[in-house]
Amino acid sequence: MRKWLFFAPLAIFLGVSVFLFTGLFSDPWTRDSVLLNRPLPEFDLPDLMQPEQRWNRELLTGEPFLLSVWGVWCPTCKAQLGFMTELKEQGIKVVGLYYPLPVDPAFGDHFSLGQLQRDVQRELAYFGNPYQFNILDENRRLSLDLGVSGSPETFLVDATGKIRMHHVGDINPRVWRQKFEPALEQLQQTSLVQLGAQP
Amino acid sequence: MIPELGQLALTFSFALSLLLGVVPLYGSYTGNERALMLGKPLALAAALFAGLAFVALSYAFYTDDFTVINVASNSSSVLPWYYKLTATWGSHEGSMLLWVWILTLWTAAVALFSKQLPLLMQGRILGIMGWIGVGFIAFSLFMSNAFERSLPYFPVEGNDLNPLLQDFGMIIHPPLLYMGYVGFAVSFAFAIAALLGGKFDSTWARWARPWTLAAWMFLTLGIMLGSWWAYKELGWGGWWFWDPVENASFMPWLVGTALIHTLAVTEKRGTFKSWTVLLALATFSLSLLGAFLVRSGVLVSVHSFATDPSRGMFLLVFLLIVIGGSLLLYALRMRSVRSQARYQLFSREVMLWGNNVFMLTATLVVFLGTLLPLFHQELGLGSISIGEPFFDAMFFYLTIPFSLLLGLGPWVRWKQQKWQPLIPPLAMVAVAALMVAVGLMAATQSVQANVALLGLLLGAWVGMSALGEVGQRIRQFGQGLAGIRKLSASHYGMTTAHIGFAVLVIGIAMTTTYSVERDVRMQVGDTVTLSGYEFTLLDLYKLDGPNYGGEAADLKVERDGRFITNLHAEKRFYTIQRTVMTEAAIHARLSRDLYVSLGEALPGDAWSFKMQVKPFVRWIWLGGLLMAIGATWSLLDVRYRRKVLRRDTVPQAGELSDKHKELAHA
Repeated sequence: MRKWLFFAPLAIFLGVSVFLFTGLFSDPWTRDSVLLNRPLPEFDLPDLMQPEQRWNRELLTGEPFLLSVWGVWCPTCKAQLGFMTELKEQGIKVVGLYYPLPVDPAFGDHFSLGQLQRDVQRELAYFGNPYQFNILDENRRLSLDLGVSGSPETFLVDATGKIRMHHVGDINPRVWRQKFEPALEQLQQTSLVQLGAQP
Repeated sequence: MIPELGQLALTFSFALSLLLGVVPLYGSYTGNERALMLGKPLALAAALFAGLAFVALSYAFYTDDFTVINVASNSSSVLPWYYKLTATWGSHEGSMLLWVWILTLWTAAVALFSKQLPLLMQGRILGIMGWIGVGFIAFSLFMSNAFERSLPYFPVEGNDLNPLLQDFGMIIHPPLLYMGYVGFAVSFAFAIAALLGGKFDSTWARWARPWTLAAWMFLTLGIMLGSWWAYKELGWGGWWFWDPVENASFMPWLVGTALIHTLAVTEKRGTFKSWTVLLALATFSLSLLGAFLVRSGVLVSVHSFATDPSRGMFLLVFLLIVIGGSLLLYALRMRSVRSQARYQLFSREVMLWGNNVFMLTATLVVFLGTLLPLFHQELGLGSISIGEPFFDAMFFYLTIPFSLLLGLGPWVRWKQQKWQPLIPPLAMVAVAALMVAVGLMAATQSVQANVALLGLLLGAWVGMSALGEVGQRIRQFGQGLAGIRKLSASHYGMTTAHIGFAVLVIGIAMTTTYSVERDVRMQVGDTVTLSGYEFTLLDLYKLDGPNYGGEAADLKVERDGRFITNLHAEKRFYTIQRTVMTEAAIHARLSRDLYVSLGEALPGDAWSFKMQVKPFVRWIWLGGLLMAIGATWSLLDVRYRRKVLRRDTVPQAGELSDKHKELAHA
């Protein structure tokens, strides 16, 4: 018995290294959002292009959609615009949540909506426009509530307004096939069942 | 040209380390004395060439050689010259090179200062150090080449150094920390050499002790400086964050502390043998684990270097070979070793065993807190995060019994101690501690039953008991100066370090209880009062630094109409990296820090300010400093030099550490 006790440190170390090994191949940034399977947070924000139009949670519910957090300052967001435009053409609803960079007036920066609208328009005209509309999160309040840690991030929201998936990083054909398609399929099936249950 | 020479020098160092790993070990098994004798020149040459490689990289940084990718991404021509040099170890590649150089320096130090070791043992130790060097140099050469060029298309200006790293703390924090981490490689090599030789007498422990103390001293200083740097640079006055990377440095420190204590038992009493060997292996293993966690991207942290799975893979394989191999050797060799010493329940052996129980429990807490999120995710249980409240609560409950034990421990004799003789002095210590604690509290704050009072009581108990014990020992040795001289340096060192712990506990308890902070809006001429200090904003103006712009504020502090100090806070905007940095204004006194940082610009020529008064926060670093001084004092003990007075060139452990300090500053 005592003899085998001396192997305990080795066994513990080997156990830990299994986790270290698997940890190497999973990205720590892809932490599941704590909001998973919870409703979207409450918000009331203006449209980016028509600021007099305001959006809130209730206006968005009704059908599943992708909520894509992005900004013109983010190169990866540019890269995904093309593929997401294809998705739009397949009939997927994509809503943009525009995340402006913080501006520090101390350094002579100031926020200009007109300039931002021109930048966004130019970018979308050039790379493709997947968005049905864009919500402007000027104070980044909703992004904070959503636990956004970088751009781009995409949330899959179901017809009842619940967050079903949170993806950090760009949307490309591989991610779409492996992650979003199965989830979306499942979502459509369950919603059919729900529809059947509640006439 | 120079970077290529650096690359070449590193390759030479690699080849020399490989020879160092093979030749002396071959000699140790065949009894070939000439092979064993080669260890020393090989170790020295490997250190020389690693040093040349490091100097070559520093030169590339100093001369703004932006054709080197590493320089282009971590420096710029407008950076002040001293930050250009420190940028050398600001990146993953550069810091790896520093790590390698420090490792070869430790190896060279072992080669130079181990004449008292039998040649066989020396050869084995150097051989093991050589193999560790081979691993790290290979990692540096093949997985993170610091000398890579971007020719023919190179940028004309560099990307600048991360503004967080443009600070005096950054100049010395990483070298000291690495001295500590890598220094434990020496204890590790001693333990492996003992395992290979199969001899575990007390001499092994006596040889390993000064090296362990030296490494521990550097690690203590490194951690302390890191904490001070974070306090200064991050702009919100925190001094410890339980960040995964801080934890990665804290774990080897805790186990290293346990190791220092069991080495004493093994040396003096010849017992705890297998346990001490295991701790020596564990300390370096945790250093390696720390390097893995920081550099592989497994954990997310502010300290993480840019990550790459192939680097992580290399390090993991290295970990498996070094740690797995050593633990296997341990399991195979230790089965036959038995300790024969006998001791009673109330004895110093048991006290030190208690120290180990607490140190390892603390390590387990840090280990689980750091890695549980990873385990949880990999087991598919979803994400969890473990933060300050967990660690704070656990350490709060651990500190209380640990401090009580620490006050008692030094009084207790080896083998057996009777209760009765200890009661009068300990009762006196307890009364003195109570008076000191309540007195100190009454002098600085109002007396209340809270965590601060508890911390003061525990701290005073530990400190008074350490002083009382030294006093008693001195009286036993003789009157006055004679007694003071007779007591060994290592005893004074121990007492100093224990007092350092007491100071640390008091500092933490007072700071966490009595710190006050306020976020205020101020215009020029406004006055804000906090804890009796009146802060008046005198001026606000634009800054124009070499590689930054920004805003600065001048404040005046008064108390009861008496002028205390002027404060100068800055908010810098580093133009190349487009990063905003807060340079807090700090007025430090032993009893409190005044801490002012600039927040945001508000409409109407006003700024938001964060004002803090942090009582006793200096005591935290003072405690760390005292621990490091204690370790250095212990190193001066003649015991580590005795028995080897065959030659005049006997090493002095103190000289050794001074030498390292010089190198680290150079």
